[in-house]
Amino acid sequence: MTRTPWSARALLALLALLALGPVLALIVQAMAASWRFHALYPADTGFEAFANLLVSHRLRSALLMSLGLALATGATAMVLGFWAGRALSGAAGAVRRVGAMAAFLPVVAPPIALGIGLQVVVLKAGLGGDWQGVLLAHLVPATGYVTLYFLGVLSAYDDGMEEEARTLGANRWQVLRRITVPALRRRLAEALVLGALVSWGQLALTLLVGGGAVRTLPVELLSLLQSGDDRVGAAAAVALTIPPLLALGLLQVGARRAGSHT
Amino acid sequence: MSDGGLQLEGVDVRFGTAAGLRGLTLQVAAGERVALLGPSGAGKTSLLRVIAGLDPLAGGRVIVGGIDVSSVTPDRRRTVYLHQNPSLFTHLSVVDNVAFPLEVRGVERRQARRQATELLARVHLDGFALRRAGGLSGGQRHRVALARALAAQPHVLLLDEPFSALDPSLRAEVREAVMALLDDRGPATIVVTHDIDEAAQFADRLAVLLDRRITQFAPPGEVLCHPASLRVARFLGIPNIIAGASDGTGRFESPIGSVPAGSHAGPGLLVGRADAFLATRAPAGRGIARVEAFVERVGGTWLWVRAGAARVLASEAGDARLAVGDSVEITIFPDRVHVLPPESDSVTEDVPRVR
Repeated sequence: MTRTPWSARALLALLALLALGPVLALIVQAMAASWRFHALYPADTGFEAFANLLVSHRLRSALLMSLGLALATGATAMVLGFWAGRALSGAAGAVRRVGAMAAFLPVVAPPIALGIGLQVVVLKAGLGGDWQGVLLAHLVPATGYVTLYFLGVLSAYDDGMEEEARTLGANRWQVLRRITVPALRRRLAEALVLGALVSWGQLALTLLVGGGAVRTLPVELLSLLQSGDDRVGAAAAVALTIPPLLALGLLQVGARRAGSHT
Repeated sequence: MSDGGLQLEGVDVRFGTAAGLRGLTLQVAAGERVALLGPSGAGKTSLLRVIAGLDPLAGGRVIVGGIDVSSVTPDRRRTVYLHQNPSLFTHLSVVDNVAFPLEVRGVERRQARRQATELLARVHLDGFALRRAGGLSGGQRHRVALARALAAQPHVLLLDEPFSALDPSLRAEVREAVMALLDDRGPATIVVTHDIDEAAQFADRLAVLLDRRITQFAPPGEVLCHPASLRVARFLGIPNIIAGASDGTGRFESPIGSVPAGSHAGPGLLVGRADAFLATRAPAGRGIARVEAFVERVGGTWLWVRAGAARVLASEAGDARLAVGDSVEITIFPDRVHVLPPESDSVTEDVPRVR
């Protein structure tokens, strides 16, 4: 086995610290009952902030709203992004370039700019301040991400399998159900998680399109921070990071069981 | 079981936006095996895809089992297309791969699996039924793909370079398995291959696709001994193309001997494979040619001999024990050579290399 050079190991440790450092700081902040300036450690710690999070009806309903929106966004973006990615991967020349750019635009556009544009559309559709309007808004960047993801995945996908299935007597629906979906099961799961995570972390779009009436966990977190309740805010922020970590962990387990790594 | 085979009537095939094959007409009977030969880019795969309904037909009609399927979707054509590297469904077991065509046609799962197991036994893979398809070797994959294709009970089977990805020992094994199964089941089969020897062994007839049309369609012996044109002869890699002329007495004279000229008159080209010319040691002073080199092949040894301007690849008489520089006589087997009219390009100085 090749030994990893010390410089690479140091770089990996630094990256891990950068990724985990803020989460650890949040956990300490949430547990610190008393942490005065200049003190290196909190004088008193406890789980009260997490307990408050669990008993708060407002935070629980925000958590449910975020989960619902994320799942709906992930599932819808997975379907839309799959078809868009498939169409683009089969296209050539200008169609493929323009299509990829269209998928890329909501990914790179600043959320605030995207939100203002979407606000107009959603208000015209009569969905302003509604969860359906927020779902539509979340779908725009999520579908962009998922389309780009599938564009990469499907470029390496052997569609000869589908062609042979067709000539073996399977109609389009049977090919989709019995060949395409099972063959791409893990990729579809990854796309669902990707779309859900895009929705899970949205703040600007939710505020602009939901008008403050759609209370997701990030929106509640912002309120807590504005009200100065840093401890519960930190606990809520920790809660916000748990589902993405769980989802990524599950995907890794799935990949290992399938005999390959993501 | 098949009934009626395949018929192409004036089929046009486009290559993307470019003009492709035009007005192809071909008939393959049920149970017949046809090898489609042609240089790379001739449109062999494009033609198979059009027959299978995977690409649109630009003109003409495709008739399968007596029914015009030109506008029928691929799943309803009773025409199975196999890629060069068979695309097994890697998320399914071997037996479920073979049962797939039966299940999608509504056969109950248990019955489909039973039939699939029988088919696997016919390709000697019954012990592999429950394995994942992704874990099979190249030869096993081909045999599973073939069993799966036959489970669909096609009228037409299209094999796109089925043996080219296999090593020489597996090629023979898979080819034999395919031939054994096809004899029994009897779909009209078209196989695309670049290997002319393989095509000749596998097929009942060869179709040579050159210059966007089928230039010759005949049994292997006929195509290889009597190519329709110099272009076909060159494509097939026939090594001997020797200039000569008909002398007006019904004989065609060349530097290595004469043969019946048939209807040919005037200058022409004598075309033949190495086995059409037999080199034997010449008695002193009677040799017309001299041995230049030996060509070692799996199937035996050939030798290059020179007679004046003509260079001929010939087979060696069993007891000749020739060496380079020996003087030889050449016996020409008239039924294995063909006289063609001369074409614009000179050939005697540009004899194709042995494959």
